[in-house]
Amino acid sequence: MIKNILRIAGTMVLPALLIWGCSGSGTVHEYSVNDLNITLEGPLFEGPNQGQYSLEIDLKSILGDAYQEGMLISDARLTSATVAPGDSLGFGMVRSLVLSFASDDAEVAMQEVAFKNPLPAESSSVALDVAPDAELGTLVSGGTVYLVLDADLAEDFYDGNRSFKINLTLDLTVKS
Amino acid sequence: MLRKLSLWAASALIAVTSLNFELQESPGDKLIGVWEPSNGRSRIKIDKIGTKYYGRVVWLIEPNDPETNLPKTDKNNPDAALKNVPLKGYRMLKDFVYQTDGTWSEGTIYDPLNGSTYNCVIKMKDKNTLDIRGYIGVQALGRTDVWKRLATAPAKK
Repeated sequence: MIKNILRIAGTMVLPALLIWGCSGSGTVHEYSVNDLNITLEGPLFEGPNQGQYSLEIDLKSILGDAYQEGMLISDARLTSATVAPGDSLGFGMVRSLVLSFASDDAEVAMQEVAFKNPLPAESSSVALDVAPDAELGTLVSGGTVYLVLDADLAEDFYDGNRSFKINLTLDLTVKS
Repeated sequence: MLRKLSLWAASALIAVTSLNFELQESPGDKLIGVWEPSNGRSRIKIDKIGTKYYGRVVWLIEPNDPETNLPKTDKNNPDAALKNVPLKGYRMLKDFVYQTDGTWSEGTIYDPLNGSTYNCVIKMKDKNTLDIRGYIGVQALGRTDVWKRLATAPAKK
């Protein structure tokens, strides 16, 4: 009887231990980037207009001395995103902002990661509402991520460009 | 002599400009533009991000929710955190890769009416007409809609 219980427990627990041991939980590193400049090139029209920024994510330079060959990003979550105007126009005529991540990898889909709708009036900087379930590991592990900012404008804007500065913080789970 | 030099310089400039233009243009870029689905209730602008193509809603025949009279949001999005994202501007075509057979595939189309995302393939029948086929699993199980290119920027609503 005891033998049978031990046998059953062994068949259930051992594979679980093996899977846990092989995968590991990884270590979480906070990664922040500031003042990323995204420009919406004019002429701009009433409604949504997009700008993009190509962000290189190099694990070796992020981790510095802690980096070891073979390390990779297994998971990534956006924990905060703030946007400030990059020009003297402020947030004038901007109704809402949506931030998405995209990649050149055909296997990896674009994801909306944060937004603010509506934009608070007269604000000098705005913290976007982050989608906590957006799993970005495969997006950022490729090295290059396109940050896409959609700004919904209340009016046409023909006189040049609009620019915004973005600060991001991501939790990167790194495995050996 | 000076005239010959000017002609040579002009030819060289034209050649360099044409070469530069050719380098920037990709055959898949003919998809870029503003398109109208067959029901005429929205207009979608297709752009390129990196090497892939994306389409977002730039015009809605009914931009406001009749119940709230506020701009429509993506209230059927399965991700609760994204239900307040404005529908105007929503990127409903995502991640299309231009293929050597002249189609754009590997992408998805999102239906905001039910919050569902489908696999999708785009074929260009002629330069102003697209066949947009959304499907689940295999292409045979799907529906095709015909989109027309708009020659001008969408009208204000």
